[in-house]
Amino acid sequence: MKNYELIEHTADIGIRLKAKSLNELFKNAALAMFEIMAEDKSPVACHRSPVKIDIEQKADNIEELFINWLNELLSLSAVKELIFSDFAIKKLTEKSIEAVALGEDASDYKVNVEIKAATYHQLKLEQSKAGWLGEVIFDV
Amino acid sequence: MSNPLEKIDDYRWRIPKSYKPGMRVDGIIYADELLLKDIYRDKALEQVANVAFLPGIVNASLAMPDIHWGFGFPIGGVAATDIENGGVIAPGGIGYDINCGVRLLKTNLQYEDVKDKIKDLTCALFSNVPSGVGSKGDIRVSVKEERDILLKGAKWAVEKGYGTQDDLECCEEYGAIAGADPEAVSERAYERGKAQSGTLGSGNHFLEVQVIDQLYDQELSDAFGLDLGRVLVMIHSGSRGFGYQICDDYVRQMVHCLQKYNINVPDRQLVCSPVNSPEAKAYLGAMRCAANYAWANRQCLTHLARMSFEKIFNSSWQKLGMQLIYDVAHNIAKIEKYNINGKEKNLCVHRKGATRAFGPNHPALPDRYKKTGQPVIIPGDMGRNSYLLVGTKKAEEETFGSTCHGAGRLKSRTAASHSINLNALLKQLEAKGITVMASGKGTIVEEAPEAYKDVNEVVDVVHNAGISKRVARMRPLGVIKG
Repeated sequence: MKNYELIEHTADIGIRLKAKSLNELFKNAALAMFEIMAEDKSPVACHRSPVKIDIEQKADNIEELFINWLNELLSLSAVKELIFSDFAIKKLTEKSIEAVALGEDASDYKVNVEIKAATYHQLKLEQSKAGWLGEVIFDV
Repeated sequence: MSNPLEKIDDYRWRIPKSYKPGMRVDGIIYADELLLKDIYRDKALEQVANVAFLPGIVNASLAMPDIHWGFGFPIGGVAATDIENGGVIAPGGIGYDINCGVRLLKTNLQYEDVKDKIKDLTCALFSNVPSGVGSKGDIRVSVKEERDILLKGAKWAVEKGYGTQDDLECCEEYGAIAGADPEAVSERAYERGKAQSGTLGSGNHFLEVQVIDQLYDQELSDAFGLDLGRVLVMIHSGSRGFGYQICDDYVRQMVHCLQKYNINVPDRQLVCSPVNSPEAKAYLGAMRCAANYAWANRQCLTHLARMSFEKIFNSSWQKLGMQLIYDVAHNIAKIEKYNINGKEKNLCVHRKGATRAFGPNHPALPDRYKKTGQPVIIPGDMGRNSYLLVGTKKAEEETFGSTCHGAGRLKSRTAASHSINLNALLKQLEAKGITVMASGKGTIVEEAPEAYKDVNEVVDVVHNAGISKRVARMRPLGVIKG
């Protein structure tokens, strides 16, 4: 089941997601972004072993960190020709993230949409009793 | 938002600067009553007001009639800032696809010559022109060559044999803007750009074979050598991943400039820095590299299109008369001189989904277009029309020499993919005699005509408002999409 919903935006695509923790929010936003971009086209058994990529990002606050995290993943995905299918977040504070992203060969995927970037426009990261709510708009 | 608009005349509407505390100038929207209904549907007007917060902004935060909701800047937004007066540059006012733009090629073919070959021609173009998400080109370049591209733009491609000197004369900035600084470009951007020269990309990018179905001004049509039924080729592409990375790199950096230079903007996607600051100078150097990359890219695509025509018509592209009419940027910032309250000022003009539209005798134009004014190329959607216009003196006086850039989106991509049936759409297009080929079927639906405003209405406004002048209208015959 999808862990996000799409937000209507005239030119672009946005997502709204809920998570129990900040850790889950970062992970689910990244999963959603790559789910919008690409769909798996080959049977699981045919997949080559995923590549593990270490990711470290720093920022002045949580919003910047969130945007930097997503944009770093987009950038790496383009350069290394990978689609990221899972993430293990090892350490997350308001100002830094250390994670491992599992990347699969992009040729095993059908890429539907090119996401240019995650933007600050109408970005929302809110903590509530139930956990975290996030909204982000992608430039496509 | 409550309706903040005051009518100036039939084609201009004002958002007074009293609308939001912090606005430094009014917002002015070019539209008629019909288009305004569409404009109210999303948050674009709020964005016009937000752009008016930029330090150093002069005259007004402008919006063209194809305005729609972007991020930070609206798409269709124009803003100029006074460099000597604290004026800023905002990477979001150029966007991720730096120098996304469009070019138009002439042919000496008539509709009768291509109508039975349009399927073969579209197939040949589709197989020769790499398209789709992250597509990679056959034109591979080394790191040293990539630096050359960033400095020389379209000239690099011409030196490689992918065009002629004549092509360069028919490009905005002659195909290479001065002041590109390869040192300001990150390693990551180099890596991201390496494989994508000579690729069309995806989304709204396209290559179309079109036919002229209406002419508006005999003198101008003659000056461009255009007649009814003539076949043209339009190419829409940008700086691909290279430009996205540069925008991302500098938005990251400039987030810190807001505090450093004490700048207050209502949307963080409007991050900016004074044009004279080191951060802005570095961005300008890198942005110009991306602009040149895009001009080289469109020149390579031109070569691939010419080769496809040669194959199908068994004749050289020169004999087929495939000269470039012009190439314009849609997403760019330029340093241009304007007279503001009687004083000549150096302004940083942001055009985010807007086209430069200089009038006759502007010094930036090549001799061949001194009399006509600058050719302005307006792509529409794949089922309706596209236009060739020319710029005017009035545009230089009112809109920092700018006009619209296309039809403007009406429906979101998600709404389009939910409400439009692919097979029905393909049948509709076929009935109109339009052949479409795309890498992704989703793209065809997302880019369906009904997802866009009617370009005819948009062009009526810029023509009637006098900020450009209609020359010719085209309709599509063959379309390839990413």
